Amino acid sequence: MSRNGAGDIFARYGPRKFRDDTTVTSTFDRLKRALGRSTFAPDAPDDFFLPDFCGARMVFAIVLFGELVALCLTLARAGGAPFLTELARVSFFTQWLGLTAAALLCFARKALARLPVWLATLGVFAILILDTALLSAAVVWIGGLLLPSGYGNLFARDLWPFMLRNSMICVIVAAMLLRYFFVSHQWRHQVRAEARSRIHALQARIRPHFLFNSMNTIASLTRSDPARAEEAVEDLADLFRATLRDSETLLSIKEELELTRIYQRIEMLRLGDRLKVTWDVADLPMRAFIPALTIQPLLENAIYHGIEPIDTGGCVRIHGHCDDDTITIRITNPVSAERAVSERSGNQLALENIRERLELAYGPRGQLSVEPLETEYRVTMRFPLEL
Amino acid sequence: MSTPPLSVLVVDDEPPARERLARLVAELPGWAVAGTCATGRQAIDQVERLKPAVVLLDIRMPGMSGIEAARHLSALEAPPAIVFTTAYDQYALEAFEAHAVGYLLKPVRQERLQQALRHAARLTGPVLRDLGAGANDLAVRNHVAVRVQDELRLVAVPDIVYFQAEQKYVTVRHIAGEELIEESLKQLEEEFADNFVRIHRSLLVAVARIEALERLPDGNYRVRLRHNAGYLPVSRRRLSELKGRLGRGR
Repeated sequence: MSRNGAGDIFARYGPRKFRDDTTVTSTFDRLKRALGRSTFAPDAPDDFFLPDFCGARMVFAIVLFGELVALCLTLARAGGAPFLTELARVSFFTQWLGLTAAALLCFARKALARLPVWLATLGVFAILILDTALLSAAVVWIGGLLLPSGYGNLFARDLWPFMLRNSMICVIVAAMLLRYFFVSHQWRHQVRAEARSRIHALQARIRPHFLFNSMNTIASLTRSDPARAEEAVEDLADLFRATLRDSETLLSIKEELELTRIYQRIEMLRLGDRLKVTWDVADLPMRAFIPALTIQPLLENAIYHGIEPIDTGGCVRIHGHCDDDTITIRITNPVSAERAVSERSGNQLALENIRERLELAYGPRGQLSVEPLETEYRVTMRFPLEL
Repeated sequence: MSTPPLSVLVVDDEPPARERLARLVAELPGWAVAGTCATGRQAIDQVERLKPAVVLLDIRMPGMSGIEAARHLSALEAPPAIVFTTAYDQYALEAFEAHAVGYLLKPVRQERLQQALRHAARLTGPVLRDLGAGANDLAVRNHVAVRVQDELRLVAVPDIVYFQAEQKYVTVRHIAGEELIEESLKQLEEEFADNFVRIHRSLLVAVARIEALERLPDGNYRVRLRHNAGYLPVSRRRLSELKGRLGRGR
């Protein structure tokens, strides 16, 4: 006999199937999106130290950098032509060099990325020196053409010394730049690795309390109600498979709600009538993404700290809605009169864990807030809508 | 001829856990289930009625923890032997090991159950007081037990207005009357430090029951209790601490 609809849906789109069939790339894309959203990992499509020179921001940076180099060179020059004339001349050259080099590197980047780092570095130097030499030659040539008109004296006339000087400057400046790119790439790499290991450490774990109580329930049901015991084992397996999954996985809200319902079903066996859960989640976009195991531990918390200490039990309310681009999920549980005053340190740990995972995934837009009211405990989770 | 079986009371708030434990006990030769119940409070009533030899007591139960129930039970004239059961409670288990207190881990194995029942011992007050140390929610009682003749009466801690030390006893003043208990004010102060404040050498008052702190014309202070429950004197030595507690909000 099949279980109710909820269970069937999960069986069809369950975590295993999800991972095997929907291919590795989709998981990778989600991971990338998750990391890309957070503050510490800016755009990093691949693992090459040379940045992408095709983007508008990079071109602007090149223009700015070229101008700074021109300013340095002009300031260093003693006497001769007026300052601004000199600056204009040098800027003219550095801007041309900068933009053409950016264009060349933009095209060459893909090929360079395949080479070992030292060879790629040499390649970049070769491209820049070639570019400088060609540009220097062009300057001398144009200067020669303009000689009759009288503007020619603004241009360098001796090709070889001019070319040599420019190439030397180019090599020095490029060496510094490449060093900078390399170091900042390493730094980004390290930061991302640290973030990843932190996510791993924060991976949601099932409370041992829950594991052993569930085992005990199953042991009891094996004789009194074998069919339910069987179902409980299946549920427990699904839940554990989810916790063993890669901690960076994003699930669809539908899948996460399924996991939470499975968890609820196991707890119902144990707590019987004492546990009631009302679901008000029809508003949620079921296909939107959510970090795995965020709603389930909140329900677990609500049961452990809210329902279990009350001998008559109570009702946990799960409410979710979505406005514009933000998803809000709120879980409310009653507070027992005796516990109302005493502190809840164990609780804070689990909440802190979820809060940190939301922050890692969404930056400042992933939030978790807690309202300890007189008779209720309310936890609200907010994060951006991602389809 | 065989001796009559020894009786066991099974206390657990979760129905499946209760059923299984009762079944395991029933299957053991020489042992019989006297009854089952779901809370610490019921356990105390049942023990007085059924007089079981051993109580299998779950640690984590709503309202009154197993450790608290055991503390109240140990105050009985003829306390039963106690074996704690738990699915997972790290702090409690360390304490049990340290004090050689019998415990069982759920799901319980039948051999272990048999051993534990055989070695079950009566626990004394001081040992039980130490057991919860480390796990705050287990150490702090929700009730104070009062013995009236041979009957155990429980006063819920939120109902208590104040404790007042007299020569030998401590009076518990609660919303429905007052009782005498044999505990020291100092111990009570330590245990209920979160919700009670010492305002006088002989007075420990529930912070939530204090309505206002008043200064008298002669320079002394007193607190006014909520619900027109009267006034209590405040000694000068305790004044600053009291002001701090009231200022922090309740």
